[in-house]
Amino acid sequence: MSDKDKGVGFLDKIRTWARVNSPWALHYNSGSCNGCDIEILATLTPRYDVERFGIKLQGSPRHADVLICTGPVTMQSRDRLRRIYEQMPEPKFVVVVGSCGISGGVFQGCYNVLGGIEKVIPVDMYIPGCPPKPEAIIFGIVQLLEALKTGRKPEAVAVIPEPQFENKA
Amino acid sequence: MTLNLNPLIVLLIFPGGLFLIMAGLAYEYLDRKLVARFQNRIGPRWFQPLADLLKLLSKEEITPLGVQRGLFYLLPLFALASALTAALYVPMAGLLPAYAFQGDLIVTIYLLSVLTLSMGLAGACTVDRFALVGATRTLTQLFSYEAPFMLALLGPAIAAQTWQIRSINEYASQNLWLLIAQPIGFLVALVGLMGKLELPPFDAPEAETEIVAGALTEYSGRGLALFRLSKDIELVIGLTLVAAFYLGGIHSPLDFLVKTVGLLLVVALLQTLFARLRIDQVVGLWWRIGTILAVIQLIAIVLGRYVGNLIF
Repeated sequence: MSDKDKGVGFLDKIRTWARVNSPWALHYNSGSCNGCDIEILATLTPRYDVERFGIKLQGSPRHADVLICTGPVTMQSRDRLRRIYEQMPEPKFVVVVGSCGISGGVFQGCYNVLGGIEKVIPVDMYIPGCPPKPEAIIFGIVQLLEALKTGRKPEAVAVIPEPQFENKA
Repeated sequence: MTLNLNPLIVLLIFPGGLFLIMAGLAYEYLDRKLVARFQNRIGPRWFQPLADLLKLLSKEEITPLGVQRGLFYLLPLFALASALTAALYVPMAGLLPAYAFQGDLIVTIYLLSVLTLSMGLAGACTVDRFALVGATRTLTQLFSYEAPFMLALLGPAIAAQTWQIRSINEYASQNLWLLIAQPIGFLVALVGLMGKLELPPFDAPEAETEIVAGALTEYSGRGLALFRLSKDIELVIGLTLVAAFYLGGIHSPLDFLVKTVGLLLVVALLQTLFARLRIDQVVGLWWRIGTILAVIQLIAIVLGRYVGNLIF
């Protein structure tokens, strides 16, 4: 490793550090039932306070780093979703919240529904649930940031709830 | 306290340049943290503004279709440069201003307005409708708060009978705090500062619930980073100016820290207390109430001086 490479490595480290610590989010609903959107709004309230991680909701796609998508992609919102994704500056990441955005969910096979978000734009992270809890959304985004830190793709994490009642048959 | 510094150091490290950037980031952090605590949240970490700035600087900068390229790239630089220059005439960190001449108060006020003007032009030179509406509102707000803010800063100047920030600072420290002598002027100056920085409740120009992000909607990466940085710097300069004029002058770094942070506490409290005003309400507030209050204050000062001269 030459000196020049070392310098570039250092700059890259700073860049990654800044990126991991300041993810600004943009929220887009491409045909969801609003359940997931309400959970996302709940995540942004003082109770969960995502500003602790530097997460801020932005209005403009030009300011955002992370696109949070909910719902299946309908025929009508397909072009809008793609346009919003293209308006975001690089590097950009897409997080899908909810079952519908992953596979189309209960809307799968409808005449006006294309399916999951990944049919239209590349997706980095999936958060399953119908709808996922605010804790699950925060967990998912922190997983994405951890993956950014190491430079790998986020891996699937299984979260199995503890059995709460013993079955006394 | 005085310091004899090489002009290059004055411009690049202290009190211009590097020191001002660091102070701006620190004050932005304090502002966000205080607002978060008032809202019963934990708030951002201490390095948050720095991370935001570095991230924005390392992001792709998109040139939207239909903009005037030269203007689009120059305006953020222009805004930052004018904000940095304005710091040379105020008693930054409790030291004497780096430069002073008769009339530098007017120059500083104009330099502080350049940021708002650049933001308005930046919004107006894109073809985006949200940016255009934001630019209109930014400039409307500029024309409404500028007059009362200037009148409020004129009060101490008339009392001290000088147009030099350094002499007004000295006058303020030798006399009764002007906060007590001219309470209306202080109120107008403080609220005018909040209007200048587009803080809530005067954030109609960048209302994200109605017009996306206002005049800066089309900016990404470097341009946005520089605009945010110049706004932070203006926050520091504005707080210093109001503290020097109304809170009994600034003489030492400790003085500077206590007075500006105290002022910031009040500003953060006002931010959390009030909801956003519509743009017509902002204009009405400034012209119907703010200006009249400032003029009454001014007349009182002039009369007070006249009567004082008659008696003594």
